[in-house]
Amino acid sequence: MIANAEALLKPLTIKGLTIRNRVMSTSHAPGYGKDGKPQERYQLYHMEKAKGGIGLTMFGGSSSVAIDSPAAPWNQISVADDSVIPYFQQFSERVHAHGAKLMIQLTHMGRRTKWDTENWFPTLAPSVRREPASRTIPRAMDRHDIRRVVKAFADAVRRCKEGELDGCEISGAHGHLIDQFWSPSVNQRSDEYGGSLENRMRFGIEILEAMREAVGPDYVIGMRMSGDEMIADGLSHEDCVAIAAEYAGRGLVDFLNILGGQARDEMSHAVSLPNMSFPVAPFLFLPSAIKREVDVPIFHAQRVTDLATGARAVAEGHVDMIAMTRAHIADPHLVKKLMEGRDDDIRQCVGAGYCIDRIYVGGDALCLQNAATGREATMPHVIPKADVARTVVVVGAGPGGLEAARVCAERGHKVVLFEKENIAGGQVNIAAKATWREALSGIPRWLFAQVAKKGVDIRLGREATPADVLAENPDVVIMATGGRPNPGPVKGHEHAVSTWDVLAGKVEPTGSVLVYDEIGGHNAASTAEVLAKRGCLVELATHDLQIAQEVGTTNKPVHLRELYKLGTVLTPNMELIEIYPEGNRLVAALRNTMTEAEEERVIDRVVVDHGTLPVDGLFEALRGQSVNDGETDLDAMVDGRPQRWTGQPGFALYRVGDAWTGRNIHAALYDALRLCKDL
Amino acid sequence: MTPIMNPATPAAFCLSLVILSLAGLALALMARRARLWCAGRPVPVEWARGLRALPKRYLVDVHHVVGRDPYAARMHALAAGGLLGGSGLALLALIPALGGARLYWALIALAFAGALAGGVMVGRRRYPARPARLSGGRFQILPLLLTFYAAGGFLVAFDAALGGALPALAWPALALAIAGGLGLVLQIDRGPMRHAFAGAAHLVVHPRPGRFEGERATALAPLDLDAPRLGVATPADFAFNRLVGFDACIQCGRCETACPAFAAGQPLNPKRLIQDLAAALQPNATNATYKGSPYPNARAVAGIGGPDLPLVGAGAMIHPDTLWSCTTCRACVEECPMMIEHVDAIIDLRRHQTLELGALPAKASPPLMELRYADEPGGRALAARTDFAAGLTLPLILATGRADVLLWLGEGAYELRYGRTLRALVTLLQMAGVDFAVLGPEERDCGDLARRLGDEATFQRLAAENIATLARYSFSRILTADPHALHALRNEYRAFGGAYEVIHHTAFLDGLLAGGRLTVGALHEARVTYHDPCYLGRYNGEIDAPRRLLDRLGLARLEMERAGKRSMCCGGGGGAPVSDIEGERRIPDIRMAQAAATGAGIVAVACPQCSAMLDGVTGERPEVHDIAELVLMAVEAGSAKAARKDAAGKDVAGKDAARKDAARPPEPVA
Repeated sequence: MIANAEALLKPLTIKGLTIRNRVMSTSHAPGYGKDGKPQERYQLYHMEKAKGGIGLTMFGGSSSVAIDSPAAPWNQISVADDSVIPYFQQFSERVHAHGAKLMIQLTHMGRRTKWDTENWFPTLAPSVRREPASRTIPRAMDRHDIRRVVKAFADAVRRCKEGELDGCEISGAHGHLIDQFWSPSVNQRSDEYGGSLENRMRFGIEILEAMREAVGPDYVIGMRMSGDEMIADGLSHEDCVAIAAEYAGRGLVDFLNILGGQARDEMSHAVSLPNMSFPVAPFLFLPSAIKREVDVPIFHAQRVTDLATGARAVAEGHVDMIAMTRAHIADPHLVKKLMEGRDDDIRQCVGAGYCIDRIYVGGDALCLQNAATGREATMPHVIPKADVARTVVVVGAGPGGLEAARVCAERGHKVVLFEKENIAGGQVNIAAKATWREALSGIPRWLFAQVAKKGVDIRLGREATPADVLAENPDVVIMATGGRPNPGPVKGHEHAVSTWDVLAGKVEPTGSVLVYDEIGGHNAASTAEVLAKRGCLVELATHDLQIAQEVGTTNKPVHLRELYKLGTVLTPNMELIEIYPEGNRLVAALRNTMTEAEEERVIDRVVVDHGTLPVDGLFEALRGQSVNDGETDLDAMVDGRPQRWTGQPGFALYRVGDAWTGRNIHAALYDALRLCKDL
Repeated sequence: MTPIMNPATPAAFCLSLVILSLAGLALALMARRARLWCAGRPVPVEWARGLRALPKRYLVDVHHVVGRDPYAARMHALAAGGLLGGSGLALLALIPALGGARLYWALIALAFAGALAGGVMVGRRRYPARPARLSGGRFQILPLLLTFYAAGGFLVAFDAALGGALPALAWPALALAIAGGLGLVLQIDRGPMRHAFAGAAHLVVHPRPGRFEGERATALAPLDLDAPRLGVATPADFAFNRLVGFDACIQCGRCETACPAFAAGQPLNPKRLIQDLAAALQPNATNATYKGSPYPNARAVAGIGGPDLPLVGAGAMIHPDTLWSCTTCRACVEECPMMIEHVDAIIDLRRHQTLELGALPAKASPPLMELRYADEPGGRALAARTDFAAGLTLPLILATGRADVLLWLGEGAYELRYGRTLRALVTLLQMAGVDFAVLGPEERDCGDLARRLGDEATFQRLAAENIATLARYSFSRILTADPHALHALRNEYRAFGGAYEVIHHTAFLDGLLAGGRLTVGALHEARVTYHDPCYLGRYNGEIDAPRRLLDRLGLARLEMERAGKRSMCCGGGGGAPVSDIEGERRIPDIRMAQAAATGAGIVAVACPQCSAMLDGVTGERPEVHDIAELVLMAVEAGSAKAARKDAAGKDVAGKDAARKDAARPPEPVA
């Protein structure tokens, strides 16, 4: 049982709206919107949190109030016309049925969006200043624009009320239009909307006054804002406190949702959505400071990944509601588990940032370690019992194997899990050795604890043989044997070592090292960082356009920051073509992918990452004896049906994760979940 | 010789005379002991009622308890029956018409033969190895004295019945009877035989006569807060009939076997406590004669006392840790064949410690302080009592002024663990359409903790304030999931003018199920064992409704060895969790091991204390669920099953609807 749990489980009443506890999820954009509406997928995603006991779930991060703030780039929600109201009503009903409250965020993105999408209108801002993150150059708003946007907010809040949402917040954070007016870094106007802080606050005040007029005094309207923009020409902490005090003092807002930083460029974006390289709750001091100055409830999110931290934040009076948004993506049943005394069963967010990173490249938010999130229509968060108990052998206790064992055990099957190492976790154990990536180890730690708790027969330190597997007389055998480093096609690849070798400590390079990356993931960047920290002179080269190209927007800047700080040479657009020894050193031949010009490096080590190849020896050995010849029924997996060999005499043989083909942790978990939930 | 001067044999005649003189001696010793009882406070006693009821109290109520150990029951019937019968008949043999009849002596011989058999049984129980619960010392020679007296009596009577055919045997036998009989009589005031006359007297003047008239009679007696002395400091502060009760103890040790604190190695042994209280009545008393099991991990005391000397303290008879180890579970009382009221004695002693000396264990003071200032032992806001229900509709009686059922939430409402139980209960009440309401911020602590910790003043204040609050509202009965609150409201508020019909949630839910207001699916897989809360089972006699309810859920119910009114405490009562007296083991660990031994996967509980104590047990163990949680699970299992049946029919339509979702604005969902 965590300390101060009772502080979290105390209701909060705002203007007659009673939220059942102090745990919430902030508005965000999971990319589940469809045609600008929150449809079934979006609603089920939030309903799952409501089922899981959350007090308040806020959806629709950056929901647009006007047609020149396009919702399309984010697969987000447009509140710019009445057609959204029935969806809101349906959504409210779904969430209210499980006792939670539902609110939305309303905003105009201003310059923080694209002009070349949806309606192709110019983007707006108080002044003509390019936003680095969106690479957009806006037009400066005139009086008509201001009047129109103010009215758009008022119309939008009316739609929220008619949609039976419990309230809304407007966004004055992350560099949206309202805080573009506040921030001297964007607002260089000389009229009554620019200059003094009083003038810069005017636009937001007009918006809130118009909104209040539209829905009356009792509807809950809050505001999200920064407690410190943390840039030289931006809003200082004192400015933010003054803004909060002014808006709250005028009775315009019923709550303030405080965060730290802003998001105008890559690095500040990564800071405002702190990943696992940050400490837990790094900006809690900001809401705490503002809470002392205002009389409205204070909400706060930013890497509050565990309930103990959340409980401390509330119990010590730093905030009134603690937002655990990514924590709910990892485990939507967090509060329920707390209330049921099952806090050990909570799957804790590790801060991988996989969810948020996917949406900034136009994808949908998915959890690195929970394949059911965002797939509530097809994937269960609570695994139902099977009608028939079977014997399942899982080989390999990496994330895929652990998930397969977990799901099968939850189904009520008898599960035997083999792992050749003395510790479960597979490749995650290697990845977690890289400096700030350590928190990844939380993924197998939770899975292993669940598997152990569910009574799986775990055999560590045992490399399964065909005889071992057959001795269990299984109905199902799942190969989760993972991968091994792919040496790649490069001539002389035998002279190179893998990123695994470095991270696992098999080799300890010194001197100058070339790290060559053909994956674009975390592996090579992490390895380069580790080597540079150990004193190596490191060059990180890649075929891709940029370093760590596949790594998302909250993680890549951290990799780059660390590599730059360490003086690592970063060389994109370069292909490794040959390695050969020269004396006791190595020569690596590189070819520029644009010019085809070749260069050579004389170095002490070459470290390559070409991903993995499946470990499939046992699979091939068992394939002939299985009823399905090792085949997987893909249609059945997608349709949520049992594999077509289920129930036949003998055993069926399947593969999941990198044993099937090298991908990532989420892929391994998703393979396992969707295969096993129907076994 | 004339028939008048013609007893069966001279030895037999002498036996009668010996018994007559022994009876005289016994009476003198009894009187000496009884005079000490007069040191106690006078209390009104219904002598006539007690005397009239004595035979029934002895033959029915006492033997009901004794009979739980069939060997002991047979042993006692033979020994006591034979001894009293043989001696009484032999005494009557002084009437010549009887004393001259050989057949009469045969009858006497038969009675002594019974006594002899009883004596042998007493011996076989104690030799070669004495069970730990039985006392040694004087008790260990008891079988010898019994068999001597009974054998001697038997031989004399047998000889007389044969008309003096065994003269060589008769006189030595008489000597044997004299030795044994004198030995027995000398045990009357300070030895094992005291139980016989003190026990009989106790049955007549028993402080809780209701116990013999079908009542549970477990409410504590109110303390007069204006009395010159609060609680009990010395033996003389006890009412005289309570002193009689202590003297009735036969040191059978059934209480010590039942005592959870004793089992946990805490310094409490109810038998020793009663013996210390009895010993202290003697002027210049010491505790040296006691030869039973000690207080486990006994704290050092001087072991001296007297009628007007303090009972509690390192310089007295009883160490305070002994008092504070008690969970007030009444297991000792339930087991006592002499109907002694151990818990009442402990509470009286605690009252003095708390109210006059302020001498509580360190961790027990803060909750009492909070109760005085905040009406709640955790010092939390009364309004926060309903926090557990956030998200549920919890009607306040303040809004309507009336409800059919007033739900008393109790202290558990503040606890995360127990909030789950109350949520389940509230959900069930709503499903069943029960017209209920809560006091919400007007509910003060019921005062149970204060009362058990001896703070009678705080209890009486809380009781008065709660009674005043309840008087403002109209309801037909009070429902609670907390047996401690149930006991206070049902039994203890009565003395302060609050008379309510109070029902425990297990009985209430049982009624809802029986009346068809809730429908349950079966929870097939689970094997469950039910742990009786002391304040529900022993204090209030409710052991059937919870079991009936569990059986309705389709659970395989297993019984622990100690169950029902003889159940073992979880360790949570009487303020024991806050007194926190160190022992060797934790009581809940012991109880949980008993539960696990049944093979059940679930321990069903029905009390917030039990759920907190048992759920606090670490390691591999059965799950702990309040019965309300199990009922809700079963109701949900039932509705899930119904829904599956429903869905099976509508599957195709459902998929169609999902496909249309994207194309047109949705219909509101049900």
